[in-house]
Amino acid sequence: MAETPSQILLVDDEADFVEMLSLRLKEIGESVLSAFSGGECLKILAKTDIDVVILDVKMPGMNGVETLAEIKKAHPLVEVIMLTGHGTIETALEGMKLGAYDLLIKPADFHELIEKLNNARRRKQEQLERIRNAQAALQ
Amino acid sequence: MEEAKPVHDIDILLVDDEADFRVVIAKRLGRRGIRVHEAPGGEEALRLLEETPLDVVVMDIKMPGMSGIDALRRIKERHPVAEVILLTGHANTQDGVDGIKSGAFDYLSKPVELEHLIRKITQAHNKIGRFRSARQEAEFRERVKQQMVVAERLVALGTMASGVAHEINNPLAIIQDAAGWLRQILAKPEMEDMPRRGDFEKALDRIHNAVQRARVVTHQLLQVVRTQSTELSDPTRMRAVDLKQLVEESISLVESEAESKGIKILVESAEPPPSAWTDPYQLLQVLLNLLANSIQATGAGGRITIALRASLEEAKVEVNDTGSGISKENLNRIFEPFFTTKGVGEGTGMGLYVSWGIVSKLGGLIAVESQVGQGSTFTITLPVKR
Repeated sequence: MAETPSQILLVDDEADFVEMLSLRLKEIGESVLSAFSGGECLKILAKTDIDVVILDVKMPGMNGVETLAEIKKAHPLVEVIMLTGHGTIETALEGMKLGAYDLLIKPADFHELIEKLNNARRRKQEQLERIRNAQAALQ
Repeated sequence: MEEAKPVHDIDILLVDDEADFRVVIAKRLGRRGIRVHEAPGGEEALRLLEETPLDVVVMDIKMPGMSGIDALRRIKERHPVAEVILLTGHANTQDGVDGIKSGAFDYLSKPVELEHLIRKITQAHNKIGRFRSARQEAEFRERVKQQMVVAERLVALGTMASGVAHEINNPLAIIQDAAGWLRQILAKPEMEDMPRRGDFEKALDRIHNAVQRARVVTHQLLQVVRTQSTELSDPTRMRAVDLKQLVEESISLVESEAESKGIKILVESAEPPPSAWTDPYQLLQVLLNLLANSIQATGAGGRITIALRASLEEAKVEVNDTGSGISKENLNRIFEPFFTTKGVGEGTGMGLYVSWGIVSKLGGLIAVESQVGQGSTFTITLPVKR
């Protein structure tokens, strides 16, 4: 269950997968938005506050790593969990170097997903906290 | 008189009914380094060749009992590599020609001139030597070709299988999450009194288990392809590994199972114990897989021997068992993904495929030799140095 209210964005070109996973997340009280491409993901991020993006590596058009780079450029505080097939782990690891918080191998275990989601959220909170403290120290 | 140079290391069989002639020739050839085995007739010659295979036969054509020509035909039948030099009566060219038609290397007419005989023996011996090395080379080429065919097929199969695995993983994730969602709904308090709740739970359980099973297979498949696509696994895990220690570790993990089946596991190691430049965890995985297969194939009272050898460049681990062996047609397919002779639920047919993938990635080779009813030997060859 969510520790603090937060907004999740689920990005995958496989519509049925996005639907099922977001239904599961909503069932435990999460607030979930869906996108089916990298472009759509960036559009949502531009107008909505998102805490964690769950991002598929392999998508047609803009792939997961390219999308990640754009996300981190415009919204450095948004945490990203890469979702990968077993064959694209190297790509996902590359994503970790570009600032993704963690990766999950498909089909991922739901409880593992929740755990990583909570950790990502916690890190974002800690980052915000640090920024607030730094700003307070400056004043 | 000038001493003729000795000819070394040739064994011949001299067949002649005249004992005196044999003794004289044997003595004179012996001085020149040609060891002579003697037989008084065709029957004895054939018997002797069964016991001691000799490459060059020098044989009189006129003998009581079996004639030289008959003996020649039977020798060529049973020992096709052997070369026969016939000795004919003086100026009897027809006998010699008949002999050559029947497969003789050449003929010499009596009385035999020694230098001439030695030259013929040496020629016949060299011809056999050339034939043998050509055959060895052809066999070697054939083996390499076969290994390449197998490797190419495995890579092609792997590429296809991984494509399938990828395509299956996505729907698998959907099935898993759909079933997971239903489970979450069932767990809600308002669903407590739902009719036939047990049936729903049972079905969801089965879906869950089936997805897990499929997941293991797709992960194994993709692991092999992944290992092929990267040069070496994790270079930081590569190090000089004491093979004897690793082999003993693997044995300790399967020992109780082997003992319960009455199977002995032995280690034969060169001294000092060979080492290889490799990833010990991955190699252990391969060893455990080979041992598990051997234990499964070997009956009570059987034996598994792991032999360790090394040269400057390569280290070899041979896992040999006295089990049921592998038939020739299965031998060619044994490293293919999903190839199994085990029953449903006993094996996925992924073990040797994964092992092949790991060993290839570690820069090594894995090969198998087997004889039905006698057992199998799997040989892993690994580099010794970085």
